[in-house]
Amino acid sequence: MTYLTAPGLPEDAIRARARDGSAAVFPPLDSYGTAVFGGTREPGDEIDALRLAPPVFMPGRLAQLIELGREPLYSDVRLTTGLGGFDAPLPVYVSALGSTRVAGTSLALSRQAGRLGIPMVIGENVAPMNGFRSSGDDHRKGLLERILAYCEELPDGVGGLCVQQSTEDADSEVWNHVYSDSAVSGLLASGRLGFEMKVGQGAKPGLGGLTMISEAVAADLEGQYAVERLTDGGAVLRCSSPGTFTDEIFRRQIQLMRNNYPRARCWVKLFPGRDVGHAADIAWDSGAHAVTVDGAEGGTGWAPTGFLGHVGLPLAECLRRVEPAGRTLLASGRVWDGIRAVKLLALGARAVGLGRAALVAADEDPVHGLERLLDAMALEMRMAVSSLGRYAADETGPEDLWRPES
Amino acid sequence: MTLQIDHSLAFAAAPALPSPLEHLRDPRTRAALRVQQALVAGARAYLRADDAVEMAHPIIGPVTDPGSRGAKQVDVDFYGHRYKLMTSAILYKQASLLAYDRIFLIAPNVRLEPVETSTTNRHLAEFRQIDVEYAGATRDDAMDIAEGLVRHAVTTVADECGAELAVLGRDPDTLRRFVARPFARVPHGEVVERLRRDGYPQAEGTEIEWEAEERVSRQAEAPFFVVGYPKGSRGFYDKESPAEPGTLLNFDLIAPESCGELCSGSERESEYAALVTRMRETGENPAKYAWYLDVARHGIPRSGGFGIGLERLTRWVAGLDSVWQATAFPKLAGVVSP
Repeated sequence: MTYLTAPGLPEDAIRARARDGSAAVFPPLDSYGTAVFGGTREPGDEIDALRLAPPVFMPGRLAQLIELGREPLYSDVRLTTGLGGFDAPLPVYVSALGSTRVAGTSLALSRQAGRLGIPMVIGENVAPMNGFRSSGDDHRKGLLERILAYCEELPDGVGGLCVQQSTEDADSEVWNHVYSDSAVSGLLASGRLGFEMKVGQGAKPGLGGLTMISEAVAADLEGQYAVERLTDGGAVLRCSSPGTFTDEIFRRQIQLMRNNYPRARCWVKLFPGRDVGHAADIAWDSGAHAVTVDGAEGGTGWAPTGFLGHVGLPLAECLRRVEPAGRTLLASGRVWDGIRAVKLLALGARAVGLGRAALVAADEDPVHGLERLLDAMALEMRMAVSSLGRYAADETGPEDLWRPES
Repeated sequence: MTLQIDHSLAFAAAPALPSPLEHLRDPRTRAALRVQQALVAGARAYLRADDAVEMAHPIIGPVTDPGSRGAKQVDVDFYGHRYKLMTSAILYKQASLLAYDRIFLIAPNVRLEPVETSTTNRHLAEFRQIDVEYAGATRDDAMDIAEGLVRHAVTTVADECGAELAVLGRDPDTLRRFVARPFARVPHGEVVERLRRDGYPQAEGTEIEWEAEERVSRQAEAPFFVVGYPKGSRGFYDKESPAEPGTLLNFDLIAPESCGELCSGSERESEYAALVTRMRETGENPAKYAWYLDVARHGIPRSGGFGIGLERLTRWVAGLDSVWQATAFPKLAGVVSP
């Protein structure tokens, strides 16, 4: 454990899972026989307030019984899935981590995600801020270092890497550089390289990326980004442009991605805007392989506190407004456990993004933290999905959920 | 809705290039470069007779043609400022019309194309273009000029390069026949339809893919134009058709004999607000194009123009297998060479 904190997330629980893995899905093992448990946790948002609602009668379980010739168990639940052109061992990917300082655990995270074959997104501004190939700063690793760390560990047949490009990244031609770099030739040849167009993020809808930098760094970046001096002689706020979009600009940018990078997957990340459903439809119609919706609960390296509390639609409302209709919808926002993941799958997502939770896990244990957190998630997901009488994660649906107001 | 098709992810290994000792002493190389000289002379004569002024354009600048299809630009450290080697002269061509109504140049360009282009036989990382821009020209005008120029240059070679064509095994009368008739003008959608009818999975709404382009080129009996590429496949400076939104007033000239595209051109967008909007549609940051947009805000003439790939034209006229054979010191994507 180093310096990282995650206000708003159950950080202690995440760290416990990163240390103890599946054992942390249960109460402390030494309390067995000496304690009794019950009650509910405090709801944090509408998704937390939802309950999974298993039915008594389960034709799906009967089908599985017939298939297996024995009573099915939770361990029979299939979690493998295809998402946005990649195959994954469970319906989880690691969300974009950008150039912000807390993403400095990025190499450890890249290695773990690679080893596990979990798709991963590398965030915007990494190349212009931290360099394309390398950087001397332990907290800011160059784009290619992150890519190589992932690829070195990646087994055959699973996973995939998406690279975001912001408006400032476009100046640095990040996608062009990545697309023809020998570091990604293996990913390209196996269909495991993607590019993600970032329209925005949940924690600060309508704003671009924000990071705090030193005065010395600010001097180099002033022509490229807006900078804001928040205190006299103190740290400086660096602001990316959010980029201007209309439906036509949006459509054409996606078509250009498909035109220019035919061998790469095309992902689009939307912030929780009120027209998120319309935007998702345009993205899919224009050729996006996956659309990510980052709810207002989503994490960030830095944002105005007013935005965290008051701007953007909650993830549950976004999912009501988006109709995937068989197309790949990815959801992120305060995901750290298997139960929230299964609820999001039941609400229409194909897979869920781990952002802050992945960082905390890698911070807790740079070698095995993410692996244990995912072990715990997978166990919870299998138990939850099987309790619904389903035996594949993508078989869940809205009928598996109960809303308190209903 | 745009129909998108996912493609095979594999591509062939790049060819090994001969050493300069071998390549420059090869009689076919010498003959091809002589043919190239005649093509340039023919193009110059045609354009000068049309009162166009030959200009010498910058090699580096703060910004260049963003291009498409994943080609990288080359950065140059210009006294602490990031400059680019020119990928095409388009921005300067439009601005140059403030000085003359008709301009042309024989311009070097550098594009670090994706490595899979090393096997297309028609991509070089470093190449030259016969670049032409006429104020007030429509797309049809620009195609007329391109057609006339190619016809004149090819005829010049057929008339003056008998010995070289003999070395290359090229019949001058074949060349004359290729350019004897007007070049057909086929809408992009029609080409896509034809390819799909023939079983090729060409996507709508995107470029004609390299393999598909070779296929239509192989089937062609003479050079022909493909007109009206969709938005989302080309640069911000190709004007959108007011009559057919989503379609650009642009064209490619396709050579026969599997040689593919020789030339791209268009009626240009010159209106400031449209340029800024189109830059965003192509994912560009307008701030990067400050000098160009400043000129545009004060009024760039309406224009049409094109760029003919000199090595591609040479490859076709000389009957070469690959475009690298039409240059003395070839640079292929991803291949280290002198």
